[in-house]
Amino acid sequence: MTDSWHIDTALLSDYEEGTLSPSRVMAVEAHMLACAGCRTRVPVDYTWLTGNFSVIYDNVHAPRVGPLQRLLTRLGLPEHRLRLLTATPALRWSWLAATAAVLGLAVAVSWLDWSGAAAMSTVFLALAPILPVATVATAYGPSADPMREITGTTPAAGPALVLWRAVAVVGVAVVMAAVAGLLLPGPGWFAAAWLLPALLLCTGTLALATSLSLPVAAGTLGGLWLTGLYAVVRVVRDDVFVPLVFGPPAQFGYLAAAAAAAAVLTLRRRRFDLGESR
Amino acid sequence: MTTVTVDNLSKRYGSTVALDAVDLTIGVGVTGLLGPNGAGKSTLLRCLATALGPDAGSIRVHGFDPAVPAQRTEVRRRIGYLPQNPGLYPHFTAYDLLDYVAVLKEMTDTQRRRAEVRRVLDEVELTDRAKTKVRKLSGGMRQRLGLAQALLGDPELVILDEPTVGLDPEQRMSFRALISRIGERRTVLLSTHQTEDVGALCERVVVMSGGRVVFEGGPKELAGVAEGQVWLSESPPVRNTAYWRNADGLYRTVGPRPDGAEATRPSIEDGYLLLLGTAVATGAVR
Repeated sequence: MTDSWHIDTALLSDYEEGTLSPSRVMAVEAHMLACAGCRTRVPVDYTWLTGNFSVIYDNVHAPRVGPLQRLLTRLGLPEHRLRLLTATPALRWSWLAATAAVLGLAVAVSWLDWSGAAAMSTVFLALAPILPVATVATAYGPSADPMREITGTTPAAGPALVLWRAVAVVGVAVVMAAVAGLLLPGPGWFAAAWLLPALLLCTGTLALATSLSLPVAAGTLGGLWLTGLYAVVRVVRDDVFVPLVFGPPAQFGYLAAAAAAAAVLTLRRRRFDLGESR
Repeated sequence: MTTVTVDNLSKRYGSTVALDAVDLTIGVGVTGLLGPNGAGKSTLLRCLATALGPDAGSIRVHGFDPAVPAQRTEVRRRIGYLPQNPGLYPHFTAYDLLDYVAVLKEMTDTQRRRAEVRRVLDEVELTDRAKTKVRKLSGGMRQRLGLAQALLGDPELVILDEPTVGLDPEQRMSFRALISRIGERRTVLLSTHQTEDVGALCERVVVMSGGRVVFEGGPKELAGVAEGQVWLSESPPVRNTAYWRNADGLYRTVGPRPDGAEATRPSIEDGYLLLLGTAVATGAVR
C-alpha cells in the first residue's frame, strides 16, 4: 500500500495545520508509521519536541504530592518550602512510629486502674514538653541527617533552614502529643498544660543553639527542666505539684520566658549554621 | 583570575595538626590535590566548602570571606561540593534528591529547577536512572549522582573530594571529559590518590603532606621533580630504596642510581613519591 499511495502536499499541509478530521489524522499517522518516506516529510520542531519531552519527563519523575502536601499548598505554603519540609530527615516512618509508641504507652499506663495512674499523668505532663525538643535535636545530628555535609554547604544552610526543619518536626510532635493529651484521664486542661513549657523548651533550645550545638543545647535545657521538676517534687506536696508547675501563673511565666528566648533567637539568628562546626 | 585565596590556614583536631599554615591561590581550570591519607586534603576542602571553620588564617572565595556569616552565604552561592562521603538519602530517587538539593541551592522556581535537574542528570549520564532509588544505584552511579548535585546551579567553584572512587575505567573517562569541560570556564578543585587523574585532567597540582603544601605546579613539573632519579634495571637494587617490578619484568627504582641501571623518563607518580619521601626525610613535614 505504501508503494502505491503517499501523502500529497495538500494533505500534509492540512495535517500540519491541524485542520483534518480525527479519522483522516489517524489515517495519515497510520500511513506515516509504515512509510519512512512520508515520515521524513513531516518537519520536526525540536523546541516543541524538547518542551513536551521535558513536561512528560518531569511528570513521570517529579516527587509525588500527597493530600497533606496539597492542603499545605492550598494554605499558601510555597512549593519549594514544601520540598524542604517533606525532606526533613527526622520525619521518617521509623521516627513517627517510635514517637507514637512512646505516647501511646504513656496514655495506656495512665488509664490503668491502679494507684499510680494519677502520678503517670503527671509524668506525662513533665515529659511531653521534652518530646518536641528531642525531635529538634535529633533532626540535625550526623546520624539523623547523612547528607548534613552537603546540606550544610548550601546557601540555605542558615537560620531559615533550621527553623523550617524545627517547625516541621515540632509541628508533627505537638499534634501527636496533643492527641495523646486529650486521651489522658484527669481535667480537660491537662491536654494543653504541657504546650507552653514545650514552646519555652523549643525556643530556648534554638536560642541556646546559637552558642552550643543543637543536641547539647537540647540536652542542657531538657536536663534543667527535669532537674527543676524533681527539685519541686521533693519540696512540695503531691496535690500542690501540678497546680504549681502547670497552673496559670506558671504558664504565664513560661510564655514570658519563651518570648525572651524568641527575642534572643532573633537577635543571634545569624550564628545558626549547619555547615560550620562550632 | 584568582578564585580562591588561602592564607596561613591552620586547623587542629585535638593534638593532631590537620592543616599547618597553608598558603594557596587557585584560579580557573582544574587543580588536583594530591597527598597520602591524613595529609590534610579533605580538611582543606571542607574549610573551602564552608563545612568546617579553620582555627587560624583566612580564606577568600571570589573575594568573599566565609568567616563572616553574611559573606559565607555568598561563598555557598558560588560553590558546588562533593564530600568524600556524600551520604545521599537512600530512600530518595535520583530525581528527588537533585530536586531537594536544588531547593537548598535557592532554586525556588519549579520549572527552572526541574530544567536544571534534567541538565545535570544528562551531564552525568543518569537521565534514564532518574526514577531509581539511591540505594539501588551502583557505587559508580551514586558517585555520579553526588557529582550531579555539586554541579547544580553551574557553580563557579566546584570542590570534589575523591570523586573518582568507585568509578570503572569507562566511567572515569567520561568523568574526566566532563570535569575538563567544566574546567574550561570554572574553577575545579579535586582531591585524589590517583596520579593518573592528575596527569589526565589537571593543569595544576598541589601536593600536601602532614598538613602542609609541599609542591605547587603543573603535572610536568611534578614529574620533573624525579628527573634523573628514575631507573630501570634487570635485577633488584641492592640499596635500600623504593622499587617495583614493572610489566616488562624490569625493576623501576626512584632515588639514587642502582648499579647497572639505566635512566628512564619520570612519571607524575615518580615525582610525587620522591617528593613525599624527601619531605618526610628532611623533616619538612611530620
